[in-house]
Amino acid sequence: MSTSSTTYGHLCLAYDDPAALDARAVAHLAAGLAAGEQVWLVGPGDPDALAGRLERLPGRDAALSRRALRLVPVEQAYRHDEVVDPEKQVRAYAAATRDALAAGYTGLRVVAEATTLVRSTAQREAFARYEHLIDRWMRRHPMSAICAYDRRELSDAAIAELACMHPETNADVLFRLHAGGGDAVAELGGELDPSNHRLFAAALDRADPRPVGGRLVLEAAGLRFVDHRCLLHLREHARRHDATAVLRTSRSAAARLVELLDLSEVRVEVVR
Amino acid sequence: MRTGAAAGHVGYYHEAILYDSDEHLLAVVLPFLLGGVEAGEPTVVGLAERNAELVRRALPTGTEVTFLPGGDLYARPTAAIRAYRKLLGSYVAEGARQIRIVGELPPAVLGATWDWWARYESAINHAYDDFPLWSMCAYDVGATPSRVLADVVRTHPRVAMPDGSHVPTDGYTEPAAYLAERRLMLPDPVERTAPAVELVDPAPAQARDAVRAAHRGQLPADHLDDLVVSVSEVVSNALRHGVPPVRMRLWSAPDRMVVTVQDRGPGPTDPYAGLLPAGNGAAGGLGLWISHQSCNHVALHRDADGFTVRLTAGNPYFPV
Repeated sequence: MSTSSTTYGHLCLAYDDPAALDARAVAHLAAGLAAGEQVWLVGPGDPDALAGRLERLPGRDAALSRRALRLVPVEQAYRHDEVVDPEKQVRAYAAATRDALAAGYTGLRVVAEATTLVRSTAQREAFARYEHLIDRWMRRHPMSAICAYDRRELSDAAIAELACMHPETNADVLFRLHAGGGDAVAELGGELDPSNHRLFAAALDRADPRPVGGRLVLEAAGLRFVDHRCLLHLREHARRHDATAVLRTSRSAAARLVELLDLSEVRVEVVR
Repeated sequence: MRTGAAAGHVGYYHEAILYDSDEHLLAVVLPFLLGGVEAGEPTVVGLAERNAELVRRALPTGTEVTFLPGGDLYARPTAAIRAYRKLLGSYVAEGARQIRIVGELPPAVLGATWDWWARYESAINHAYDDFPLWSMCAYDVGATPSRVLADVVRTHPRVAMPDGSHVPTDGYTEPAAYLAERRLMLPDPVERTAPAVELVDPAPAQARDAVRAAHRGQLPADHLDDLVVSVSEVVSNALRHGVPPVRMRLWSAPDRMVVTVQDRGPGPTDPYAGLLPAGNGAAGGLGLWISHQSCNHVALHRDADGFTVRLTAGNPYFPV
């Protein structure tokens, strides 16, 4: 499991055993119910099929009848045509979070099986943007989610495109780009190198962090390695927004690379 | 207009001083410096402490010569090229028609790490040729190993003599040809021991992990980080541009870490690889250039088995 320095309950789970996924969903949703949250299972198929997957969930039927547990066919939760509309989708979950709080729950907890929504390149592009937007919502509000993707149906590269937008994942990705806290517009963890610099450029484009007061602050305490290619991508992004990217990292090598390459739009703040 | 021996020359006028006494050195250097000052040219001394003091005392008081602070300038050849190009560029921007520099390498670099300084001495014939530079590199023939002197003759087009003459060197070889030659890589004694790690076709992330894991606290954290950057770049280059298998070996000694990365290919085609950034976007050029500025020694070696890069962090000066 690859985890960022900060966790707030947004996990990308790549799986190849549906039974294991169901077991995980049962445990996760049971913990949510115990914590007074409203819990959703979102997945393909009708509510009966979804209910069948939660057979082992203690008190399932009671939770269903008092609407603490909701079973949501994926088509309904995401109201998609072909490609998800990231902003509309986030508004829907924001409303659901507020509704849950208004109904007296402590938060909203979702397990979503989203494989069918990310089969094509265009779908993944839009869904990765959505993953980042919902991540920003989750970082600041009492909503959490496990986003499950089927390894038998999606390539490792396809899963990596989505997994890298999560603070936590079990997928084989070296880096994670997700919502930042405090004055950081985003947070970076893991390792950025020649093997993933194109994926990083795509992730940066999809997350599209915007400067605040001319500064694009990236919290990167969990960044173990960054190479010059990725610093150049960061510089390009900062340039596009007429800003200075500020990378807060414990790796002083990044500061030396920035100096070697004269990257005036990137500032490295070494924090130990 | 350029003055002195370099009058009428375009670009870099590169000379060696092969001196055998203080008198010899001063007989070449003093007229060189005074001529520069008289012509109003930026005139710079980059000599090590002893010789800098010798020259300072011999110059008339108040002579407007710039003495570069010693220390880091000649720590790493690629960094020296970068610093000198910046300095030369600033002089030209201020209107200099010629710049005169006399310099010398610290004695320590004439040993185990000489190979990358030999490459430096050759490459600067090209790297400084954008500038109206007349420079002299001083070598004490009594204290310089003969193998080093052989390279000095091949990398300097001329020798400045104490009688005021400037004699073309017989063996001077154009940098593109010189740098393409097979160069001897002196084996670091630690290479005679079993490597702490040996990996075949490692992913860059695996290579980085191996370096971090082999660190026994002998390097400051910053130096370890820089070695990790270098190994990552060199392994990536080998995987991407080399011929498999890529073999990485790592030794962890009390005062240094040494990593070799070998592939079966011929190595980079750019003769300046590592010393100059690949401005044309040539594959892998920036990674090797960064490595040359992040390690205390980088040796390149070609032989029948392929191309090897050896990176040293910590103390690279094993006895030779």
